[in-house]
Amino acid sequence: MGRSGGQMQFLRILLASLLLLISPLPVLAYDVLVLQSMHEKGYDEAVRGFNRECRSSTRTVVLSDYAEADITRITREEHPRLIVAVGDRALALAQKQSGTPVLYMMALNPKPRKGTSGVVMLLDPSRYLAVFDALGARRVGVVYDPARSGAYLKRAQSAAGRSAIDLVAREVHSAKATPAMLQSLRGKVDAIWMLPDTTAVSPASTEAYFLFSQGEMVPVVTFADVYLSMGGAVALTIDRFDIGRQLGEMAQSVLDGTPVEEIPPEPPRRVVTKSNDSVVRRLKANLGPGVR
Amino acid sequence: MRKIYRLSPYTKSFRFRLYLIFTVTIALLTAAFASFYVMTEINGYRSKLKREGKLLATILAQNARLPLFAENRDSLTVLAQGTARYPSVLSVSISNADGRFVAEARNSKEKPGDAIEMDVPITSPGQVLSPESVLLGHTSVDEERVIGKVHLRLDTSGARERLITLVAASLAIGTLFWILVSLLCYQILKRVTASFNMLMGGIEEIGSGNLSARVALDGDDELGRAANAINAMAASLELRELENLSLQEELLKAMKLEVQEEKKRVMARLIHTNKMTSLGLLLSSMAHEINNPNASIRFSGHMIGKMWADVVPLLDGVWQEEGEFYLGGVPFQTARLALADNAAKIVENSERIARVVQGLRDYGVGGGGQLRQKLEINAAVSAALSVLACQMKREVQLSTSLGTGIPVIAGSQQQIEQVLINLILNAVQAYAGGRGEVILSTRYDSAAAEVVVEVKDNGAGISAETMGRLFEPFYSTKLERGGSGLGLYISQYIVAEHGGRLQLSSTLGKGTLARVVLPTMAAASMGGVVAAKDAQHPSDPLHQIG
Repeated sequence: MGRSGGQMQFLRILLASLLLLISPLPVLAYDVLVLQSMHEKGYDEAVRGFNRECRSSTRTVVLSDYAEADITRITREEHPRLIVAVGDRALALAQKQSGTPVLYMMALNPKPRKGTSGVVMLLDPSRYLAVFDALGARRVGVVYDPARSGAYLKRAQSAAGRSAIDLVAREVHSAKATPAMLQSLRGKVDAIWMLPDTTAVSPASTEAYFLFSQGEMVPVVTFADVYLSMGGAVALTIDRFDIGRQLGEMAQSVLDGTPVEEIPPEPPRRVVTKSNDSVVRRLKANLGPGVR
Repeated sequence: MRKIYRLSPYTKSFRFRLYLIFTVTIALLTAAFASFYVMTEINGYRSKLKREGKLLATILAQNARLPLFAENRDSLTVLAQGTARYPSVLSVSISNADGRFVAEARNSKEKPGDAIEMDVPITSPGQVLSPESVLLGHTSVDEERVIGKVHLRLDTSGARERLITLVAASLAIGTLFWILVSLLCYQILKRVTASFNMLMGGIEEIGSGNLSARVALDGDDELGRAANAINAMAASLELRELENLSLQEELLKAMKLEVQEEKKRVMARLIHTNKMTSLGLLLSSMAHEINNPNASIRFSGHMIGKMWADVVPLLDGVWQEEGEFYLGGVPFQTARLALADNAAKIVENSERIARVVQGLRDYGVGGGGQLRQKLEINAAVSAALSVLACQMKREVQLSTSLGTGIPVIAGSQQQIEQVLINLILNAVQAYAGGRGEVILSTRYDSAAAEVVVEVKDNGAGISAETMGRLFEPFYSTKLERGGSGLGLYISQYIVAEHGGRLQLSSTLGKGTLARVVLPTMAAASMGGVVAAKDAQHPSDPLHQIG
């Protein structure tokens, strides 16, 4: 099975390479080159949203279909006006060339560079703070890796400073430290904020959050609805389709002549708030009307 | 060996065998069930222990996941100790993915021996995704990562104790069950085989010869039918047996009769022989008595004839000279012829007498009278004496003492004579050539209604050995002297035939007393009549001789 799959992939790559080599240059004239890291449900969803908003002609290249895609050559030969990178890998590849502006989405660790903008994956901290506010939590515990989420936490802390919420932050430098750090928050917080930080939230330590929540009777506000089933109280989730649409609007404005440099990276504009009612009920938390 | 012998009557019993088979089978089944039960229970206990251990280990693995991930030895130790507190747990150890022990706890009661070892891996949750994947909407892959291992040692001493308890309980219950079922079996078998035993007992009794025995078994089952069949068989056998018996009896009777008749025939012949012997004696004495005078007569006749022949010429001269003269009133010429003729007749008749006597001597005459004839004992004695008169030796004196008023009895005089002749001759011969006296007496015993004849001598007597064989036929001490050995035998037979008895008492060297006791007519009950073929009439002239 694996062998035949490998053969199939090899044949597919060979065929695509031949097509790329043989096809005459002007034949495929298009405005937007969509570089997608791989075939994945989330990426496809975002791309669908993008295509819905951006009506320009596009060419989509899924990188996982090729052994190696020479993006410089493609841009040189096909002259796309804009590259839309979907995923970190696609963004990294797109950033190897410098001639064409790059817009990214679904990239977790975008590196700020000239001629690059897009929609980030992290929600605006104020969204979370609003939820905590609604929950009536004043002291909110956060575990984070400064290397990964330091900047975001800084933004959050400045936002929190504006509100009455006190962020009790704990730094972790390895995933193993998370349970201990959480234990150190015992009795010191009213809620836990779970950040999409790989160090702070590793698969092995994820349940530590919910055990803490259970033991301390404090709600966990998280970033994905999958955690609700594990014991999370409220989840603020992104809408990938809408991110695609958001980026589509951004691309349209770029294609319409707005320089990329003038467009700052944006957080997702649409937030879907979901809650685990039974957990919330048990934790006797009062959710504000705005949360639901 | 002796035990087997002692047991053997039991082993031959159908009931015992059945009972043995039943009890052994029940014992085996009970043992099998008990073993099965014990094994199942023990296996169940062990698997329960394993399940419990697995559960404990799994719970521990779940609980230890985070502390192990966080390498929190303290909480791991607390968890391990918590698990080790369970009574069935001997020791708990938690090791990380590298196999290094992170925490360990031991139960205080741990003892060496058999224990169940159990390992449960500690895995990170497979369904949980990294935050990136969650954000990017990647589908989750169910992939558990082993991050450590929980090792439990479970105490099996409980299993051992349980095994002992179970075995003891099973043994007790099994034995009780076995005893109860055996007793029940015994009762059932007893009831079932009772009719069988009854049938067997009946058959054995019938088999031992008691054909009138019956199997007292009611019922219409196989045994009942068998009993009925056997009863019918026994009845038919009994009938046959009875028939057989009666036939046998008849046969015996017929044989007896035949033997009796044969005996009578033989006896008649014997009597005849004896009589011939007596007759021989009689005839020889008679011939002697007749021949002597007859010879004298013949000689006289011859002499007369010879003398006459010599006298005739003389007398012829006289006649011629003197003329006719008379002799005895008869003229000479007539007398001359008649005398010669008479003389010849005398000789002739005398010779004829001699021939007749010779003829009688040569001819054995048998005799036998009717037993129903009237018999006067004194007459018989006289007749016997007259027969023996010329046989009596001069040295032996015969004295008689004949009783009076002796009634006439029924019987054959000739036979009784024969008896008396035999007895007298024996008495005479007892003196063996010496002098002696033979006393012959008759009397009537009115009290016993018997006529008694006694012949007594003072001779040699009879030895004890001979005494025992006196009445045996052909046994004689005088065989070399012409004895036939039949005298006493025949005499006893004749007396018995007359309903009487012949008694002999003797003292060696002092003499013998022979007594013939005959019942009178009234008392007599004569069993049979000797029908002698050659019976002689008592008025036979021969008896009057002498």
